[in-house]
Amino acid sequence: MRIDELARRVGAQVLVPGRNINIDPEQVYAGDRISDLLNAAGDHALLVTNLASTHLMRVAELMDIPGICLVNGQIPDEAMRQAAAEHGTLLMASPLGLFQTCGRIFQTLHEESRPAS
Amino acid sequence: MTAATYTIVGGDYEHGGAASRALKEQLKKVGADPAVVRRAMIAAYEAEMNVVIHAERGELRAELQSGQLDVEVVDEGPGIPDVEQAMRPGYSTASATARELGFGAGMGLPNIKKNSDQFAIESAVGRGTRVRFTILLKPQSLYGAGRHSLHIVAERCKQSLHCVRACPTRAVRVFRGRPEVLDYLCIDCTACIAACPTATLVMKGTVDVLPPAGDFVLVVTPESLVQFGAGVTPARVLSELGALGWRDVRTTADWDAALRAAVIDYAWAEAAARPVISPACPAVVNLIEMRFPSLIPQLAPFESAITALATDLRGQRAAFVVSCPCQRTALLAGEAEPKPELILPAALRAAVRPRVRSNTSSAGSPPAANGVPKTPGNQILRVTGVRHVLGVLEAIEDGLAGDVRAVEPWACDAGCFGSPLLAEDPYLARQRWVPPAGAPAAAQAIRRRRPFEPRKGLRLDSDMGKAIQKLAKIDKMTRALPGGDCAICGAPTCAALAEDIVLGRATPDACVRRPAGGATAPTTGSAPDQEKGP
Repeated sequence: MRIDELARRVGAQVLVPGRNINIDPEQVYAGDRISDLLNAAGDHALLVTNLASTHLMRVAELMDIPGICLVNGQIPDEAMRQAAAEHGTLLMASPLGLFQTCGRIFQTLHEESRPAS
Repeated sequence: MTAATYTIVGGDYEHGGAASRALKEQLKKVGADPAVVRRAMIAAYEAEMNVVIHAERGELRAELQSGQLDVEVVDEGPGIPDVEQAMRPGYSTASATARELGFGAGMGLPNIKKNSDQFAIESAVGRGTRVRFTILLKPQSLYGAGRHSLHIVAERCKQSLHCVRACPTRAVRVFRGRPEVLDYLCIDCTACIAACPTATLVMKGTVDVLPPAGDFVLVVTPESLVQFGAGVTPARVLSELGALGWRDVRTTADWDAALRAAVIDYAWAEAAARPVISPACPAVVNLIEMRFPSLIPQLAPFESAITALATDLRGQRAAFVVSCPCQRTALLAGEAEPKPELILPAALRAAVRPRVRSNTSSAGSPPAANGVPKTPGNQILRVTGVRHVLGVLEAIEDGLAGDVRAVEPWACDAGCFGSPLLAEDPYLARQRWVPPAGAPAAAQAIRRRRPFEPRKGLRLDSDMGKAIQKLAKIDKMTRALPGGDCAICGAPTCAALAEDIVLGRATPDACVRRPAGGATAPTTGSAPDQEKGP
């Protein structure tokens, strides 16, 4: 499923559009520690996190991560948005907490198991 | 060789990661494999942030030379009193500030070690720390490593070059006396294994003894049950296996049938694009993803039968007798946990043969005549053997197969019965396959969650301009070569050799038939990397 479609279905707001590619359901990772997220990275990955920082964007850039979902309604600052826009990372914000956001993402990706074609 | 040094300022979180980013640009320029870049970035970023978090100042020095990246991160910092403790996952002395930013998980050094091929750390309290690591590059492939299950036992190679000629996707080279498989072209079929007279190419990482029976569910394929001659029926082999004390013995036969039924249903009820292509053989799926991306929408969206069965056995310890590399790859890529044990067909043969030996001399007799067997009709076209599969896929791509509703292509002759890892002739074996009677298992086809995706092929250079230049060089080089595609150089065709030369995988003198003093090779600008096989 493409990232913007996923955002729409889980009720997250897309703040910065990026490379709008398909997310691999096996590459969605949640965490608040840079080392974990770094290890989890992949080029079809979505990271779900509380870490609204430019470091996260640095990680996304280094690891070619296409999508980041911030939780708990956190609004990223201008520096973070700019970093996302520069590297083509899609940045979205979910009003829900980490657990609930992940629950919705899981449900959406796994219900939607049929490929579009 | 290029070398670069980047300064890292302690406490400067805002610019932390800048050195890693610069290094990444370097790696992209040399066309390093994305999987390698990713590993390098994890290691470099962790090392760089360690300096930012703990030290006053430091440097990241990176050196790129043929085939490897050496990185040294040196800092003037407090040093580490107990290196062994610092290496332990979860141990951290990071400040509260660092932790708030998401650092200080205590995974930095373990992460560097895990992602590098060589790792060393020295530290002196009050003076500083020096971390060194090396990552081996695989320059030509943009396709993740480890996606095929071929293993090369180079010392067995007698340079028959049969593999080079047999490979349907021209993925094999024999340069410098050893075969090499280009990962991004390999579709994990069995053509090279079947062609090699000296067993240089084999299946990776399987065991040739059966695990302790009592702990495991044993999974066998139809083809592995018909390897004992004419007199030994699949039912007999299953009963002998049952007597060995496995927790359960399952065959993939019902799952094959369930997949076939699902594909036929899909072809008649659901599919928009026809003919529908069955994903039964993972090697064929690879072939389509690589060479026929336009046919991807025609692949029925199901997992292969063996993956479906592995998913069904989730949570149980299972041992699979795998007939070919792509079955192995499919099982390892699947999400079944714990990962199944993978066993060579030879191990099954060795375990069963003594128990059925008395019967192997009997010639067997045709099954009792109950009238002419009913044929399943023209619901699905079965195509076997990679040459014919290529032909049919080409016909479909050209729109010449509109009369066909559904296709089931198999890379091996006679389907899985034709794997070169098996002993019996494929057609005899298939003829002897009779589904054992018994309660039908609850087999089903499983819908794929991940869409099929075109495979990223070779990018000549990450820089478009350079890529175009290289393309022109390849063209020129191809014309300079004799064009006889003799393959004596170790590349399958003259065009393939031209590409190999321009990309530094081979030298122009590899061609033995080039007229002396004739066409001169365009130089590649730098000495070709003497890349060794994996």
